[in-house]
Amino acid sequence: MNASFLLFTLLNTGFILLVSPFFMSLIKKVKAYVQGRKGPKLLQSYFDLRKLMQKEVVYSPNSSIIMRITPYLNLGALLLATLFVPVVFIPNAPAGIGNVIVFLYLLVIERFFTSLSGLDSGSAFGGMGSSRLMSLSAVIEPTMIIAFAALAYVLKTVNFHEMFAITAGSTIPESPTLSLISISLFIIIIVETGRIPVDNPATHLELTMINEAMILEQSGKNLALIELAHAIKQTILMAILINTLAPFGLATELTFTGIVISCFYFLVKASLLAGLIGLFESSIAKMRLFRLPGFYMMAFFFSALTILMEVFI
Amino acid sequence: MSLLEALVYGAIIALIFGTILPLLYRSKNTRKASFSLSFFSSILLLAFAGTVLYTGKEPTFPAFGFLPGLNFTMAADRLSAGFILLIAAVVPGVSIYSIEYVEYAKSEARKDIQTVLTNLFILAMLMVVLAGNMVGFLIFWEIMSLSSLMLVLHDYSSEENKKAGIFYFIMTSLSTAFLFMGFISLFRLTGSAEFGHLDYAASILTLPFLCLFIGFGIKAGLVPFHKWLPYAHPAAPSSVSALMSGVMLKVAIYGFLRFLLSVSAPEIWWGVLILIGGSLSAILGVIYAFRESDIKKLLAYSSIENVGIIFTGIGLYLIFKLEGLEGLAMLSLVGASFHAFNHALFKSLLFLCAGSIVHATGTRSIEALGGLIKRMPRTAALFLIGSVSIAGLPPANGFVSELMLFQAYFYSSALQDPLLKVLLIITLSVFALTSALVAALFVKLFGITFLALPRTKCAKEAIEVPQPMLSGEAIPAALCILSGLFSNRILALFGFDFGIPDMLVIGLLLVGVCGFVWLGVRNTGFSKTPRRSKETWGCGILAQHPTMEYSSIGFSEPLIAIFKKIYRPEISSTRTYSDTKECIFKDGTTKIHFPKFFEKYLYLPVAHTVNVISFQVSRMQNGKLGTYVFYVFIAVLTLMTFTRYFA
Repeated sequence: MNASFLLFTLLNTGFILLVSPFFMSLIKKVKAYVQGRKGPKLLQSYFDLRKLMQKEVVYSPNSSIIMRITPYLNLGALLLATLFVPVVFIPNAPAGIGNVIVFLYLLVIERFFTSLSGLDSGSAFGGMGSSRLMSLSAVIEPTMIIAFAALAYVLKTVNFHEMFAITAGSTIPESPTLSLISISLFIIIIVETGRIPVDNPATHLELTMINEAMILEQSGKNLALIELAHAIKQTILMAILINTLAPFGLATELTFTGIVISCFYFLVKASLLAGLIGLFESSIAKMRLFRLPGFYMMAFFFSALTILMEVFI
Repeated sequence: MSLLEALVYGAIIALIFGTILPLLYRSKNTRKASFSLSFFSSILLLAFAGTVLYTGKEPTFPAFGFLPGLNFTMAADRLSAGFILLIAAVVPGVSIYSIEYVEYAKSEARKDIQTVLTNLFILAMLMVVLAGNMVGFLIFWEIMSLSSLMLVLHDYSSEENKKAGIFYFIMTSLSTAFLFMGFISLFRLTGSAEFGHLDYAASILTLPFLCLFIGFGIKAGLVPFHKWLPYAHPAAPSSVSALMSGVMLKVAIYGFLRFLLSVSAPEIWWGVLILIGGSLSAILGVIYAFRESDIKKLLAYSSIENVGIIFTGIGLYLIFKLEGLEGLAMLSLVGASFHAFNHALFKSLLFLCAGSIVHATGTRSIEALGGLIKRMPRTAALFLIGSVSIAGLPPANGFVSELMLFQAYFYSSALQDPLLKVLLIITLSVFALTSALVAALFVKLFGITFLALPRTKCAKEAIEVPQPMLSGEAIPAALCILSGLFSNRILALFGFDFGIPDMLVIGLLLVGVCGFVWLGVRNTGFSKTPRRSKETWGCGILAQHPTMEYSSIGFSEPLIAIFKKIYRPEISSTRTYSDTKECIFKDGTTKIHFPKFFEKYLYLPVAHTVNVISFQVSRMQNGKLGTYVFYVFIAVLTLMTFTRYFA
């Protein structure tokens, strides 16, 4: 553990933690504008989190310790995952931090325990959400792995830090194939954050819901922690796409100005991406549940195509 | 005789005593002593295997000649030491668990027999791994198969168990037959029964390779030879299931590796065959596991899946090695072996816990369970550790071996052959799908079994199992976590350094961050938020009923719909109506049936053909002396003609 890494831990995690709720509101705002509404304030997510933190926690008498530890484990796993995706600058990370596969499996921790807590209270809604989430995430997993394998193929490393150190120097994508991977990465963001057409984050209607169904029984500060973890997940997935497709601005050295510039650029780029996600969500209808594997196949196709291009050219 | 050899002899003698004692003195204390002996022997083996792996020193054992020209020799190199380590890691937990568990058998005689056979089974598995030549290997292989067969048949009165026993017996005999063919053809080639380097062209070794691949594949449970596992495991006592799934399958993998690593010039299609076979087993294993509601059947299918992953690693090893990528080859091989070790730990843990659950509730169907986390909190915690390990969540051990294989796949861009690359992309996506499905599977298994409200009376009245059983489960559970956290240290100790992420750091960081979040919430003024206990929201229904909960098959429904082509569910329904126009629905039943694909299209046709042939042959046996004399006459005549014209 060197000093620069320690600083990275604080800055990177702190920064992502701080800005994540903002992007949640931003997407809501964009969607509201498209629908002709005014939409919530840009800081509304922060107010919501504060409100939830102060509210009482209601537990079902059927629920067990799983329900109580899940929020902490979720946020813990996601905060750890922030170390894998450099946003402020690229440190000299020890012990394989930044490894793509470890990153993906940290996301599995969140998924695994959220699904268990969905089953915990014995509500049919929770079970439905768990069952759907685990099934759909299993089907998206090959796409995710192939997308990241394609990144590894192109950039010849399995470490995010090393990958982004390679891409950071250039203003345009390092290799044209990276723009193909970006399509898959975009679909992965949509799927993993439970957005239209996969899931609808705005409703609590049982026909559409996956993620909202599982956390239906969570309340108070536990719900706040889960929402925060969800927001962080969205931010780091966005950061991966940004660092792959539009890497300019990311500092590779530890300097004060470098960090400020990185943060500024990231905010601008991520806001644009959030706007794009909002527009994408507004322009498409929710898909039927069993149509989704077809949608995933599209992402799979693009990442497999990338690898095949690398193989045969 | 140095200390190293003494350790092995000590372990063997302890196991022999463990086998014989309960036959001589039949009491509860003898059984206890017998299991203590197997526990003790595994400690000796642990010391032995650790030393051999660490120093690379190979002990020498004298040969025992028991037939002219046939010797039985023992030998141990680092490969066998690795698998002895695996045995030594699984046996302690199983022994302690069995002390209490064996007492649940129906009669005194059965308790004794179960003790004797368990010890004999462990001894046989150890000797197979220690065998220095084919003779010893096959002899102890048969002892291993037969002792486990008798354990599968321990509750022979039930019709289901009888069927399981016969199924297992046929499959294991088939496996031995293929091994015999493979070994005999090797023997003809080399002229010796020793395991040695096979410096022959791969084309000559094709027959032994195929025979041994099928032979060991049957025993390891590779698709399509996997059908015996989901029959034999539910029939056997849980402690034996733990040994069978944890160790016996790995012994078959050991045998296969022993052959494969001695071949100096294998061919690339061997690797491709093993890789495809492994990937297919992995994905079909977990997909079939998903439709099961019987906890032990589900775990058996999951073993098929894990064996598939191990074979995937072996296939990768062969491909990388032949393409000249030594580093990646070693990574895959050690990854596969480490996965074998990890699977031995978490699968024995899960089977032991399943035994506790079955004992406490009296049912194997998880549809009848639920809410056990409140009634059996310790078993639940241990089962959760097993589930987390098998689902491959960091920092538990299951993750590390999967990580190694993923890493080998990710670096495969160094391969030259484009077609191989395409194959690797396809198998990589299958591997990814497998590992994600396993996570889903164990959410289902843990969630339906332990969480929410109990679905039946037997689950409601379950009580925690006694301490020895919990201690027995705690050993593999602790090893799962420790071997995950210290994976880098352990691999480095044995001389492997692949630069994989350090799980100790990641584990500590994870605990640290979760602790930080907890403290953060506690100390920032939010600790005083009130808590309330209130009934789960049920859309206005006042009291919640277990029938509202998601069931096991309900949980699987989305995946069954997605993988319809594989499950091919047959839905049949009958309806009766109150009126003649069939408008007002009165009553009806609907059945969803999953056809057993391999049984229907592979096993039964083969069995049918064998039956037809044996019927034809049996017609030649009419029991009259004259007929048989006539047969002898024909045989002599044929022989004479043959020697005259062809020899």
